This record gives sequence, C-alpha cells and structure tokens, in this order.
Amino acid sequence: MDVKAILLIGALPRDYGFDAQFAGGAPLAGLDVLGRSVALRTADRLLASGVSEVLIVGDTATLRAAERNIALLPLDERSLWRGCETAFSEYAQSGADVLLVQHIGPYLELDYDAVVQFHLDEGNRVTPVCDESGAALGVFAVSGSRRNDAAFLFRHQLAELRSPCRGYQFTGHVNPLESAADLRRLTVDAFAGRVQMAPAGREIKPGVWVGEGARVHNEARLLAPAFVGSFARVRASAVVTRFSTVEHHAHVDCGTVVQDANVLPYCYVGAGLDVQHAVVGSRRVAHLKRAVEVEITDPKLVGSIPQQAPLRAIASAASLASFLPAQVLRSLFPSPRREQPASLPAAVQAPSAALRSPAAREAAHEVHPQFHPNLMMARKYGND
Amino acid sequence: METIRPVVVKRMPDRINLREARTFLDEVQPFLHSDRPQLVFDLSQVRQMDAAGVDMLLHCMSEVMRRDGDLKLAAVSPQAATILELTRTDRLFEIYETSGDAVRSFTYFLPNALRRDDTMAFPPPRAARDGKEQGDDTVAA
Repeated sequence: MDVKAILLIGALPRDYGFDAQFAGGAPLAGLDVLGRSVALRTADRLLASGVSEVLIVGDTATLRAAERNIALLPLDERSLWRGCETAFSEYAQSGADVLLVQHIGPYLELDYDAVVQFHLDEGNRVTPVCDESGAALGVFAVSGSRRNDAAFLFRHQLAELRSPCRGYQFTGHVNPLESAADLRRLTVDAFAGRVQMAPAGREIKPGVWVGEGARVHNEARLLAPAFVGSFARVRASAVVTRFSTVEHHAHVDCGTVVQDANVLPYCYVGAGLDVQHAVVGSRRVAHLKRAVEVEITDPKLVGSIPQQAPLRAIASAASLASFLPAQVLRSLFPSPRREQPASLPAAVQAPSAALRSPAAREAAHEVHPQFHPNLMMARKYGND
Repeated sequence: METIRPVVVKRMPDRINLREARTFLDEVQPFLHSDRPQLVFDLSQVRQMDAAGVDMLLHCMSEVMRRDGDLKLAAVSPQAATILELTRTDRLFEIYETSGDAVRSFTYFLPNALRRDDTMAFPPPRAARDGKEQGDDTVAA
C-alpha cells in the first residue's frame, strides 16, 4: 500500500506565535528545536512509519531538507489551499492509496501506522485525528480515491468534513506550539526525554550537544543540559546552561549568560547580557515568566544575522574594517589612566587628597605613654 | 534641625532611544545637580528601551550617588523590567511597585525600620543576653 503525506506549515495565523514577526516571520513549526525543526521532525516520523513521500507545503522559507523523500513547496497564504488540492490530485494520480494530511501546527507524537490502519478498518473516506475531548488535531487520513472529500476539506481549511466520520482518538503527547512558551516547553521536554526529539549534534560531554561547525570559545562554558547548533558561535566567558539552546548560526557574545532560554537561528545576543526564562527571536525577546514580548531596536543588545552566506561575509568584513581603525585611533590617543605608584608603602603614607592627612600612621613608631618602650608583656597559657 | 528635601517623581517616555534619553536627561539635569537629590523614575509607560536608555539610567544613578542622594525606580513595566534584567541593571536600583511606595520609602524608611523592631522577634542586646545567662538580674533590669 502506498501512503503519502502532505504537511501544511504556516497555514493559520496562530502558527506564527503570539506575534507574527517574532521569529522573523517564520512559523514556529519551522524553527529549529535542538537542531531540527518540528516540521522536518514530523516528516522524519512519517518516513520512519512507512510513508513513501512527504510534501511540506506553505511557509517553508526556514526549512532545509536534505532527504530525497521530503519535498518543499513554498506557497503563500492565498494559494496555499489551492496548492494542497493540486498536490493531493497529483499524489492520487500517481497511485497513492491513502494520504495523510497534517497541519503543523501542533507537535504530535502520533503513531501513523495506527491511524492508517484505523482508517482502513473503519472504511472512512476521511478519518480525523481527535484528542480525548474530541477536538480535531489537524491530522487527517484521506483515501486517495476521495478527491471531492479532500477538496472539501482543503476549501474549508481543515475545519470541516464533507461527511461525518468516526475519528481516531489520540492520547499521546501534544504541544499546541502556538506561542514562545510552547516552544520553550517543547525544548525542555526534548532535553528531559519526555518527547522523542533527539538533539541534532554530537554529544561532547554528558548532556551537552554541539552541532557541526559550531564555534565555542575555550573560555565559554556549556553546562548540561545545553545545545549549540550548527555554525553557531559562543564567545569567550559566555555561559549556556539550564536547558538552553543556541540554534544554528546564532551568536552569543562575550560574557553573556543564557539560562533557561532559546536563542533562535540567526540571532545575535550582545555582550554581557543575562538572558533567562526567555526566547530570543529576531530583535525580539519573549520573557516567559512575565508573559511579555519586547521589541529591541538596539542591535548591540539583540540583533539578527543575515541568512545568506555572502551577506554574512560582507557583514563580517564590514565589522572588521570598522574595528581596525578604532583600534588604531585608540592606540594613538590612549585614554587617561591612573598612574600606578612605584612603591605601595609610599602611596599609603602619602596624604589623602580628601582628608589632607596621611592615610595610615606609622604604628611601629607609636609609643604609648603609660608603658616603658623596653617593657615586654606576655600572657600565660596553661602551664607555659 | 532637620530640613525636608523634596522627592522628585519623573515619568519616563514610552520609547527611550538615544534621542529620547538625551531629552530626558536634559529635563532631569537640574534635579541631578541639586544637593542630595531624591529622585523616582516612573517606568510605567516604557515599552521600548535600548542601550542608550540603560546608560542614561546608570548615568543618573552615578550623578545622584555622587551627591549623596538616591534614585529609585517605580511601576516598572514588564517590557522595561525585561530590558533591565537582560542588561543586569535591575539589581542596581531599588524598584517599587508604585511611585507612591517609592516616595514613601524616602520619608518613612527609618520609622518603618523602628516599627519592625517592635514587631519582629529580634534577639535582645548582647549585654542583656549575657547577663541573663549568668543570672545577673541587675544587668537585665
């Protein structure tokens, strides 16, 4: 039996978190969590359960799929549902018996084999997957021969079925992935092993994973559990700890502490900052404990890194070109520094500018008037 | 003789970038240069703040401390609190929930502290404690 899948990403406004511009306009399911996005992890699960081909439709700008069986079809909001209909028709014509349609959306650890089996056993045209309360989770198994039902489903944006069918009840792990807090919770669950999301990197020490090409300074500290994505950079004296992730191409500058936080891809976190209980996006910080999202316009604090490699190279060259003249000027016109005294006792004995008196007296030459200078005193301890 | 010095409450604008920080600093400059200034900055309106805003706050703090005064923050909005925490400057300021609380903290700090002496179970003075341990009633009395 040939089973194929269509995944919809960025189909609904709530897919983008509580602010559409939080992650630079990318849907939350398209953002990396421990090195791989939820959309691609769902595609991996589908392929592992025997699905022959997966098509990801919608806002796929942030996705990088290297697998042959995963195809990306970028579509905007207007052409999304029409494109899904077309994709369904093409798959049906190519001989797919059952098509799994999933909106991501929520992160589900679904047993797709069981869903397909349930669909076949029930003889449904369309089988929705529901949670314990009966609410639809955005996953449907559709028979390849039921194009009209599929078209009805897509035209109603997965909210309505053409004919009522008994749904498959799912009782496993569900993360709605509608806000930065959900993204953070998913990360913590992945670190804790509560969900089946392995970090995409090499475990350099227990609980610390580093992706390919990541640069971690010798003086930076990665305290488990922590993850640094591919081509990310953690500079000197920075600390990444407490279930924190620095995703691919992100940059944590010197001395910054990242704890209980996600640094999203292509984000720059400035030097000497304290990022905690937060998700750092593109010039935005979502503080989870205060449930507030703050726009940060100052690139010294939180900035974004160009996604295109040539632009990143140009930006690096520009920063180097501006850094060198500044260093030359600094060497030519040094800032006034306090002169260190040649000998410390002399400096201590010198009169203080504020008190107009010596800072310390010469205790050795101080003579108490009641005692003779040659008198020695001793205290008796025990038999001594 | 005791002179009552005024507490100046200043509300900060909703966006504090370099330009707004300079404008705000010009406004508070006379208060900063007074003798032992007592200032409260109300941050309830602040929605955005950049490094210049944080730098301005630190500058005000240093100026006030130089003149033996104090600067306190009040009604800090969640956005401003996030920025202050991010830049590690929240630990440098006394932060109050309302401007009224901040103003009262200047005036009623000592009476509050004394009242706390009455209510809290502090240990007795050392001399009295030693005297009681030794059974010396005269010291305790």
